[in-house]
Order: sequence, then C-alpha cells, then structure tokens
Amino acid sequence: MYKTEVRGLLVEGGKTLGDVTRDIMRPLETRSPNWWRVVFGFASLMSIWGLYSIYITITQGIGTWGVNNTVGWGWAIINFVWWIGIGHAGTAFSIFLLVLRQKWRTSINRAAEAMTVVAVMCAALFPALHMGRIWNFYFIIPYPNTRGPLWVNFNSPLFWDFLAISAYLLISASFWYLGMIPDFASIRDKTTSKVKKAVYGFFSMGWLGSTKEWIRFEALAFILGGIAAVLVVSVHSIVSTDFAVGVEPGWHTTIFPPYFVVGAIFSGFAMVMTLMIIIRKFYNFENYVTDSHLGAIARILVFVSLIMGTAYLTEIFVAWYSGNKYEIFTFFHNRITGEFTPQFWAMFISNALVPQLLWIKKLRNNTTVLFIISIIINIGMWFERFNIVVTSLSKDFLPANWATYHPSWIEVGIYVGTLGFFTLGVLLFFRYIPMMAMSEVKGVMKFNKTKAK
Amino acid sequence: MEEKFSFPSKLRISAIVLVIIGLAAFIWGFISNPDQAWGNLLLNNFFFVSIAVGASFFMSLQYIAQAGWSAGFKRVSEAVVSYLPVGGILFLVLIFGLGHIYHWAHEGAAVHDELLSHKSVFLNIPFFSVRILLYFTLWIFMAIYLRKLSLKEDLEGGLTWFEKSEFYSKVNIFVIAVTFTFASIDWLMSIHPHWYSTIFSFKAFASAFYHGSSFVILIILLLNRAGYFSFLNKSHLHDFSRYIFMLSIIYGYLWFMQFTIIWYGNIPEETIYYALRWTTPWKTLFFVDIILNFAVPFLVLMPRTPSRNKTVVLIVALFVLAGYWVELYTQIFPAINPENNFGLIEIGAFAGFLGLFILAVATTLSKASLIPKNHPYLDECLHHHF
Repeated sequence: MYKTEVRGLLVEGGKTLGDVTRDIMRPLETRSPNWWRVVFGFASLMSIWGLYSIYITITQGIGTWGVNNTVGWGWAIINFVWWIGIGHAGTAFSIFLLVLRQKWRTSINRAAEAMTVVAVMCAALFPALHMGRIWNFYFIIPYPNTRGPLWVNFNSPLFWDFLAISAYLLISASFWYLGMIPDFASIRDKTTSKVKKAVYGFFSMGWLGSTKEWIRFEALAFILGGIAAVLVVSVHSIVSTDFAVGVEPGWHTTIFPPYFVVGAIFSGFAMVMTLMIIIRKFYNFENYVTDSHLGAIARILVFVSLIMGTAYLTEIFVAWYSGNKYEIFTFFHNRITGEFTPQFWAMFISNALVPQLLWIKKLRNNTTVLFIISIIINIGMWFERFNIVVTSLSKDFLPANWATYHPSWIEVGIYVGTLGFFTLGVLLFFRYIPMMAMSEVKGVMKFNKTKAK
Repeated sequence: MEEKFSFPSKLRISAIVLVIIGLAAFIWGFISNPDQAWGNLLLNNFFFVSIAVGASFFMSLQYIAQAGWSAGFKRVSEAVVSYLPVGGILFLVLIFGLGHIYHWAHEGAAVHDELLSHKSVFLNIPFFSVRILLYFTLWIFMAIYLRKLSLKEDLEGGLTWFEKSEFYSKVNIFVIAVTFTFASIDWLMSIHPHWYSTIFSFKAFASAFYHGSSFVILIILLLNRAGYFSFLNKSHLHDFSRYIFMLSIIYGYLWFMQFTIIWYGNIPEETIYYALRWTTPWKTLFFVDIILNFAVPFLVLMPRTPSRNKTVVLIVALFVLAGYWVELYTQIFPAINPENNFGLIEIGAFAGFLGLFILAVATTLSKASLIPKNHPYLDECLHHHF
C-alpha cells in the first residue's frame, strides 16, 4: 500500500521501464564527456605524486615522514581511519536501508557500494605502508610457518584490524558484485559491440533473469546483507580498539567503538551526498536522484550529527567528571584550549554545528548548500581523526616526552595520491558500470502507479 | 477501522492487589532494611521509567524512519509512555532517601575525598533534584504534545498532524538522547561515585530502547491474545522479532565493548566495577544478565520459524524483560547490599510497580481508539506483507 501522495514519487519524469535502461546505460555507450577527461588527467597527476611518495617511503623508510618517537602515528593513521570511515557508507547505506525497507535507496546504493570498495582499498594502503618493511607483509597472516614457528600477536588490536578489514573488503566487494550481475546481463543483451558482449557476458555469469534465479539472487542478497551489517559495525569497532584498549589519555575511553561506527557512517554518508550531487548534475539524473532522495540523506546527516555532538559532549563531560587529571588535561588544555585548538574546533563546528543548518527545509532543498555542507563534514571528520591520533600522543603522562608533529611532503603526497586513486576509481566506475542498479530501480517503479484509494 | 480497548475489571482488581502487595513490601522494607527498600524503589522505578522512555523513542523512531508497518500499533507505545508522570512523582520521593543509595549524598562525604569534592559541583542534592524535575518536565511535555497530535489526527485526518508529529518526533529524540544520557549518569553511574565509563549512558540508552520496545511488543501480543489487533499477521510478528533480535545484538555489543576496553586497559579505578561483580554473590547474576539479554533472543530468534510464532516471541520478550531486571539489579545492588540477600522485598516491590504500570497503561489504552484511525500509513500496516 504505497501511497504516492504521502511518500512521494521515487522516480520522477514519467519514466517507463525502457527509459530506465536507456538513461542509465547512456554514459556507458557514449563518448566520455570532456569534464571526465580533464578530471581523469588531474587525478592521474595526483596519483603519480602519490606513487612517487610511496616509492620513497618503501625505498627509504618511515624516516621520510614527520612522525617521531612521541607522535608515532601521524597522517598515515589519520588517513587510514578517514578512508575506512568513508568506506563504511556504501555498505551501511545498502544494508541498513535494505533491512529497513527504505525504497529510495535503490538509485543510490550502487554508487555508494562502488565508493566503499575503492575507499577501503585506499584505507588498506596506509597500515601496509606504516609497517615500514612492506615486503614482510605476509608476517601478519597467521599460518603454521617455518619462522620459529613465529605466530602473530593474537592479543594485538592491529592484528584484529587486519582480519576485520580483509573480511569487510571481501564481503563488500561480493555484495557489490552480486548486485551488478543482472545489470551486466542487461548490457550484454543490449550492446552491439562484440568486445563488450564478451566482457559483460563473462561477468554476468550467464544470468537469464528467470524466476528461480531471482529467488536465489534475493536470498543471497539478504544473507550477504545480514553478514555485512554485522561487519559494518565490527570493522570500525575494531579500528577504535587500536586506540581504546591502550591507556593513553583521550584514547582509553569506552565510548570509542560506537562513536567510531557512528562517525564512520557520518563521513560516509557525507561522501555519498557529495558523489550523488555530482552524478546527478553531470549525468542529468535528476529524475532518479530526486530532491527527496537528497533530502533523505540530509535528514540522516542531521540525525547522525546530533549523535556525534552528544558523543563529543559526553566525552568532554565524563573527562571532567572522572576527575582524572590526565584526561582533564587532554580535553581541556590540549584540545578545547591549547596547542590543538584550531583542529578541535574545526572538528566540533563542522561535525556538530554546521550540519544543524539542515533542519531548515529551504537549505535541505538547495543542492549547492548540501554540496558545501557535505564537503565541510568530510573535512571535519578528517580533523576528528587528527584530534584523536595526534593530540593524545603528543602530550601524555611525562612532560619530558612531549613533542609536536608536522607532516612531511611525503606524507602529504601519499594522502593526495589516495585522493587521486579514489577519483580515478570513481571515474572508471562512472564509465564502465551502470551507476544505478537498473533492476532495483525498475523494482520500485511499480509504486509510481499506485493511486490513492 | 475502529477498535476500543476496555479495561477489564478483573485486571483492574489484580493491579490494585499488586499495588497493595508492593506497599506492604515497602513498609516492611523501610522498617527492617531501609537501604534495601530505597534501592528497590530506585530499581523498579528506573525499570519502568526507562521502559517508558524507550517506548517514546520507539514511537518517534517509527515516525522519522517513515515506517509504515507499525503504524497500527502506535497507541500501545503511547500508553506505555503514560507511565512517566507516575515515575516522575516516585523519583521525587526518592530524593528523601538519596543517602541510602548514593555515597556522595552523605553529609561530609566530600570533605576528605578529593574526587568527590571535585564532583560536588555536579553531584549534590539540590542540583540532582533540579535535574530530576527538568528531565521529567521535558519528557512529559513531549509525550503529552505528541499524544495530542496523534488524537487530533484521529478526529480530523489529513496530513497536517502527521507532518507535525514527524517534526516533533525529531525534537523528541533529541530531547531524550541528551536528557537520558545525563539521567543514567545521575541515577545509575553515580552509585559508584568514583567510577566512570563513557559508554555507560550510551549503553543505558540502548538498553532502555531495547527493553522499551520489548515491553511494547509484549503488550501488543498480550492484547492480541485477548482478541484485539486481529490484523496482526506473521509479517508484523517477524518485524517485531527482528527488533528484539537486532537490539539484542546491540546490547551484547555494548556490553562486550565496555567490558573488553576496561579489562584490557586494566586500570584499577575502572576495573573495580567489574571486580565487584566478578566475585561470589554476584558472579552468577553477572552472566545471567548477558545470557538473558543477548544469548537467548539471539539464538532463539535467528531462525525464521520461531520468530514468526506468537508464543515464542512472547516468551522471549518475557525473558528479555527478566534480563533487564537482572541487569539493573547487578548495576545497583552491589554498592547498596553487597551480600546480595534477595528476598521478599524485591518480589513485593516489583509487584507493586507492575501494578502501577498496568493501571497507567491500561487506563490510557482505554481512552482512545486502539488503532489510530487516520494515520496515513495505516493501510500499509493493515496489508503488511513481505
């Protein structure tokens, strides 16, 4: 009983099922637009800088970074957590909204999942590089070996991290791929190019669209969804234990696991917003990603921003309430005031205050405002990770060990490089994969026809 | 569709009997062991107040998530919320016995205690009382307003009231999130005035949501047994089970995370909380808590068949609510009554509060149509199927 006068249209512009296929496949069939080529070139330059920085890091070592004995974790870990957070959104978006039966997710989930896969790969780069001797990477895999036998430290959160991220990447990628099978089949059947037919035919695994196939497809989607829903929460909780199980003031706080998960969803949804506004603008998908879609994401952002604000205040309040002088110092004299004031307030204002503007309906309906706010949130979330990683380490128990931290150009280069990789990945996705799940969008078209009783 | 709940006189009489039993238990308790009696007042009142707050959150969440399937049952949540004024009054009574529960409320407790004198700005009787008033004023105000919008919708229909409800649900969630965070720190965490944990209020909130939803589901199933909600089908039931299932995972997650981080950090100021509950008279209950609140619903409701069975869901909801009592008991009583002499006072006190709760809920239920008549999602709910 979907009532359009209450719930609104999911697809506007009076589209037919055939229109959906044609519209969504158009970018795959036509020559890539000029802006695409320009951005591609620009992102390649960023990637080259990134690759150069990675080369220097691997051949010369971590000494080329700005980290020191006191602040042993710098931009690398900040960026790792930031990327992993963005990589959360896709799966969180698809899974949670699938479980909650939010029908509007259908035109957004594909892009969100693609973003996830690329972002998680960017994230995984950082811990790998941080090992210093990346060629010994296989040491982290636990298996009976001839090295002593030398086992990994099962008590270490860093090892849990490795497992959590690999499992998450595996499931996210499978889930993403699974959803694409019917669409690949559509391309295979529609295309006239022999090469495309062969490639998409291979990836569509002989999909014919029979009822039996659909039943299995949906069952599998739900099962993978169920597993992924747990992984979404576990992966960032594990990332938070990297910090929280230690005793560092500002790190050792029990709220970290849910706080990290919520933060990740926050930054991820902001990135989804950025991406969807770009897609909608440049590919003219206004009928599929409607104002009400963006409004829904905006409302989720306000909601999550309130949780973030509450979490910040809880942390600050409990730091005071605990009466622990190290906690009080970290929060009140090293973040709210003190050396890292700009970073703290950048985080607080952009994550807890600015998104509150979205309570106003007029601003929610303004794409430019939404775009700017989504970028501000992404920057704010980067500063949140800076706050966590650097401020606590720089000044802990012994004043004799206090130190500050500035990144080197190599660290900056790696970060810029991952931004480049991400952009390249997303651009390739725009070009070679249908940006929306055609089969799912078609699935919700029927609600457009239901008239009120 | 019109359905009206009438408060059966048998139920009314039993509820009144329960209240009388409760009164007797409290009178006996105040004479024989005042600490235990005050502790029970806090425990049971918190039990039902947090369930009412959880139900309020549950109701608002349905609005902001635009959930259609549950629209027909929202009067039950509204009825559970109507316990709040009763709970508020009883919390004001508690102010007279703070010294029996909270170490920081003792006169002179802060004098030789550096931490307590640091906290005394926040933990002092006048401010504590003001906060109680503030929380309840906000909660009750929001509850009454949302109820009013809902009843207006019954009379007049249209989308105006619905849209207003949606907006004020957002406000309600914001209000509850902030106030309940502090309420749980005030009422539960400050029982151990030196101990602190940032996740504590988050966990208390999730737990209130969990058990509030479970109680709402329990009432819906009981009403269905009594012949109401004839449209309740397997799909509704499955969605209700999913709520319990999902929240049990969240509960288990928060429980485990708080434990792991404190255990791993191994700082004496923090581990004391668990050390106390890890020793003899409490250890069993400490595990009963997580078994009832996590293991039972998680394992029973995971397969499809049992989660679509009314009796199974009903029993699981009862287990979960028993788990909530155990959770609160192990949170409150190790500080008040270290010997854990569970007895007639506990049983009687719970009976009394249950009676009050039944009276409040059933009266509110009987005041309006059991099914919100002009709810725009009502059709979706009546024909819910997946």
